[in-house]
Amino acid sequence: MVSIRDLSKVFYRGGQPVQALDNISLDIPSGEFLVLMGPSGSGKSTLMHLIAGMERATQGTCEVHGVDVAKLDESSLADWRSRNVGFVFQTFNLIPVLTALENVEMPLLLTKLSPARRREMAEAALDLVGLSDRAAHLPKQLSGGQEQRVAIARAIVTDPLLIVADEPTGNLDAHSAQEVLELLQALSHEPGKTIIMVTHDPKAAAYGSRVLHLEKGSLVAC
Amino acid sequence: MNIATFIIKNTWRNKRRAALTSLSVAVSLFLLTTLLTALRELTVPPEDVGASLRIAVRNKISLANTLPAKQRGNIQKIPGVALVSPLTFFGGRFKEDDGIGFAQFGLDADLLIGIFGEANLPPEQFDAFKKDRRACLVGRDSATRHGMKIGDRITVKGGIYPCDLDLILAGIYYGTIDDRNLYFHHTFLDEAMGNWGQVGTWWVKVKSAEQVPEVIRAINATFANTSAEVLAETERSFQLGFISMLGNVTAFIGVLSSVVVFTLALVTTSTMSLTIRERFRELAILKALGFKNGEIAAFILAESFMLSAAGALLGVGGGWLLYSKMSVSQATAGIFPFFEVTPQIAGAGCFVAVILSLISAVPPIISACQLTVVDGLKTLD
Ligand SMILES: Nc1ncnc2c1ncn2[C@@H]1O[C@H](COP(=O)(O)OP(=O)(O)OP(=O)(O)O)[C@@H](O)[C@H]1O
Ligand SMILES: [Mg+2]
Repeated sequence: MVSIRDLSKVFYRGGQPVQALDNISLDIPSGEFLVLMGPSGSGKSTLMHLIAGMERATQGTCEVHGVDVAKLDESSLADWRSRNVGFVFQTFNLIPVLTALENVEMPLLLTKLSPARRREMAEAALDLVGLSDRAAHLPKQLSGGQEQRVAIARAIVTDPLLIVADEPTGNLDAHSAQEVLELLQALSHEPGKTIIMVTHDPKAAAYGSRVLHLEKGSLVAC
Repeated sequence: MNIATFIIKNTWRNKRRAALTSLSVAVSLFLLTTLLTALRELTVPPEDVGASLRIAVRNKISLANTLPAKQRGNIQKIPGVALVSPLTFFGGRFKEDDGIGFAQFGLDADLLIGIFGEANLPPEQFDAFKKDRRACLVGRDSATRHGMKIGDRITVKGGIYPCDLDLILAGIYYGTIDDRNLYFHHTFLDEAMGNWGQVGTWWVKVKSAEQVPEVIRAINATFANTSAEVLAETERSFQLGFISMLGNVTAFIGVLSSVVVFTLALVTTSTMSLTIRERFRELAILKALGFKNGEIAAFILAESFMLSAAGALLGVGGGWLLYSKMSVSQATAGIFPFFEVTPQIAGAGCFVAVILSLISAVPPIISACQLTVVDGLKTLD
């Protein structure tokens, strides 16, 4: 499903090159719940951004379902993201003026679906994360765990094959974190879905089907 | 939910800021509407009123110089002239202790209504005025202010002229653009001055509006190279002559309007930039979800447009409503007899609002387009 070959990313900071990723090769089969771990600055987020088509590699290829993401132009890349990737962030990142349901519906505005169908799908996604009764609430009226579950509903509403989550439990208490992780794990059991999660928490990592460690931009064996 | 809901919710998310921005747009556009209306009123003479048929004739040297009474016959003979009356500004004082006075004019009593047709008064009062050479008429505003009644003796002490007028109030008129003036028989002034033989100005009523330019030319030509050359002009430009003493009003209004628009552009642009900058993180999320620069630009533009539109509705619409309800004519003592916010002026105000919303959306659109997903996510809330 995801096939990475000799992937490097160099940032320039004040003229100085920073090697965020150094020649990474990696295959992620469909159905995997991959966990990325490693010290701060090791390149976890960067790797995830490249796979999710949010950033471009300096070198190497990253094919997702046979599409070399780096070769797409800005506009096609945006289309590709909207159809293929769901995002979950550490800081939830819901739109504060929209209700839970509207936040979930947001990605569907890019589709040609009818308003009724959009609403139906958003309701189904919200139901899946167990928040149907919170549909009309604004993000600020929800707890952190609920916000993150709404974010997961938004990530899955378009039914993408790839879901990326950057420290999704980083801002949550143990109980909420568990709910979120169980949700992600359940999703990974759906046919064909691939989940990539970055975390610092070994307990969270235990939910994954495979754990990879990064250090200074390279994969290390554990 | 649809895109429109999203935009509307975004626009009003910071209600106080949105309200203040719209309000500043509204106030500026109201000011602009006012200025444009004033400008139009000053430059375009009113068409459909007796004023457009009236010509004021004054001494070419200055208003302070008088004209010989014998000119009257020459003016009367000019084709197109319907009526001629002297009109002399007496410039006296009604009461020593009264700061706010009113102007007194000597004119031909028989011709008052013929020339200044807007004045309303009961016919018997007008008859009484015509019959008695000591009679005078006073506008309702002054009569009310000074508690005057028909039959009262009114003494006006001379200021410009070395004589006092001892008059009797014969009637109270109303309905002109300035219901304050006192009118008396010019012949009475002439006698009081010892067969003076002079007049302050001539006021001429022309038979039709088309003849006005020709009559003006003819009057000026008639007295060219005489000892008392005249300057004939429409009542409107005669009044504007007073205004223009204050400077070049029209240019001043033009500059003022530009300043208003320019300031407004600065305010809205900085507000829009601030508003969008605070939302970089959300914009990055939208981009991650697959929204493109074009769509994000459209969101920003729509938001900017909504704020300006609300301001335009309030400012231009409010101006139109206010000026159609209140009597600007009275408030400005007749300098602006109509003060009508025409469709063109309202259109100009709305056009400015549209341009403004475009301009103020440009800088935030540029920075939003330059924003990458990853950089945007790193910005703090
Ligand atoms: N836009 C950027 N410009 C310059 N350097 C960057 C940029 N983004 C990341 N880096 C650098 O690349 C390296 C990897 O960053 P990355 O964010 O992938 O680390 P991470 O493993 O996610 O760390 P953390 O656990 O703290 O989130 C770091 O040294 C970081 O400073
Ligand atoms: Mg990171």
